[in-house]
Amino acid sequence: MKWIYRGRCWKFGDNLGIDGDIMPLRFALERETDPMVLKDHLMSEIDPQFAKKVAPGDIIVAGKRFGQGNSHIQGFLGIRGHGLALVAESIPRGSYRNAINAGLPFLSGCIGATALCETGNELEVDFESGRFTNLTRGTEMRYAPLPRELLAIVAIGGWKEHFRRRLAAAACSAQRVGGSS
Amino acid sequence: MGQTITEKILSRVLGRSVSAGEIVHPVPELMTVHDWYVVNFDKVLQEFGVTKLFDPDRVLISTDHEPVAVTPQSSERQKRVREIVAKYGIKHFYDVGRGGLGHIFPVEEGLVRPGMFVMAYDVHVTNFGAVGVLAIPVVVEIPEVLALGSVWLRVPETVRVNLSGRLKAGTSVRDVAQKLIADLGDALVDYTVVEFGGPGMSAIDISGRHTLCNTPIDIGAKSALVEPDAVIRDYVAQVYAGPIDMVASDADANFRDVVEYDLSDIGPQVAIPPTPDKVVGIETVLGRTIHHAFVGSCASGNLPDLRDAARVLAGRKVAPNVRLYVTPATQNVARAAAREGLMEIFHEAGAVMTAPGCGPCAGGRIGALAEGETSINTGTRNDYGRLVAKTAEIYLASPLTVAASAVEGKIADPRRYC
Repeated sequence: MKWIYRGRCWKFGDNLGIDGDIMPLRFALERETDPMVLKDHLMSEIDPQFAKKVAPGDIIVAGKRFGQGNSHIQGFLGIRGHGLALVAESIPRGSYRNAINAGLPFLSGCIGATALCETGNELEVDFESGRFTNLTRGTEMRYAPLPRELLAIVAIGGWKEHFRRRLAAAACSAQRVGGSS
Repeated sequence: MGQTITEKILSRVLGRSVSAGEIVHPVPELMTVHDWYVVNFDKVLQEFGVTKLFDPDRVLISTDHEPVAVTPQSSERQKRVREIVAKYGIKHFYDVGRGGLGHIFPVEEGLVRPGMFVMAYDVHVTNFGAVGVLAIPVVVEIPEVLALGSVWLRVPETVRVNLSGRLKAGTSVRDVAQKLIADLGDALVDYTVVEFGGPGMSAIDISGRHTLCNTPIDIGAKSALVEPDAVIRDYVAQVYAGPIDMVASDADANFRDVVEYDLSDIGPQVAIPPTPDKVVGIETVLGRTIHHAFVGSCASGNLPDLRDAARVLAGRKVAPNVRLYVTPATQNVARAAAREGLMEIFHEAGAVMTAPGCGPCAGGRIGALAEGETSINTGTRNDYGRLVAKTAEIYLASPLTVAASAVEGKIADPRRYC
């Protein structure tokens, strides 16, 4: 898993809604979960050109309550589809889980992060350690990374793979118990 | 360092002492799923090759979002739900006409009790906190909980809220529950359990506690619960014969914050569109024309809520331009309302009673709004589109305020009826 992202900053303000702002609601209603489909519609209701402008390794830096609203996963899958990562001042409960479920490298609870950068700045963020560097400005900040148990879920690609592995482990241990009796 | 109720419950379930911030895999003592997600979790389990649940005896399914099937598709879905319940051997199945709203009847029936740990597919399961249960919603990963018995959980911190004072006439716990989340704010309660206690609790019954524990989730809390006290003990003792765990937070527990909150100064409150925490005093919105009103939901569908509405409606009529729906939360509430003569009052007033369950609040499958209309109701959410029409406006208020507004045909102050 690549934990260090180096790329351009795309800065957003507070209260971006998971439905509408980050991803059109219709994809949640249609239960579309293919990151390669969703990526083309990321942020399209705020900036129709966004999906064309970003490049893998770029980093979205957002204010408070990123992904607020009904906890749908599609927006986070869209971010991941582009190979982007996320730094947010806060992410509400349901969306925090969905960012992990989508296998997205992110930092949350990054107070003041939006004051540390502007769109277009060159950033380098280490999602394993929480180091946030603005290479354009020459500034560095330390934030708390995700707990290692959650980094482990992100590292394998998110919830589905994590669930699959837990099921396999449970089946294995059931077999061991069965075999020894 | 002492522990909060939440830390104690999770420590008991895990068999070791845990504190806020740790990532754990506690196994819930009950897992609940409502009628609209059963087909979905079955599909996911099939995709992953799961044929057996971790423990079907711990699973509860309630047909509350759409108890009366109103389309051919929903009749088919209900049939599928029954087949899936049989396939997995799920023990607690409350089909149409049995329990009612799954966030409320398990409390009435003693299925959930102080100190228990529950996970559920639906955010308002936090209602179980009314009797000191720690109930945590799980959405995407509920199939994992059903198949393996657990999912990762970061032990939440706790915000302790001490209520004091007494409610004034014309004001109910619903007004407090709405104003409280606006006053606490999302930054403070983010990923915390809101724990209620204090001298003001002695005058708040179990119904009011359902309401208090219902709203914090809507500003980002992880759950809410009431510290078990004499009101809870007396209630639970009537529905459950076994020992009652009067779990309490330690005096030196590490709370994120302790908030003192006085009930005496609170008047009727209204949440304006589009979120439940956009709360204003009723003075701000008095006189706005309404077309639709509704009393019910997991926030305000208990017997005392219906009594409040009936008190205003007795001997009066719903205004000609308004349709009023009343939904008892559970079969028990409906039966008690009938016995007390509340149903007679509602029918005489020109209200429509609907089947026990969520009522219109479940996405407006029944009793929806048309474009451009306005509703005042006791539901949980007021997003645009919650009751189908995208341009319709939804105001949330207490059963007293909703009933008074239904009588006047516009948002009205209930204090003149109390």
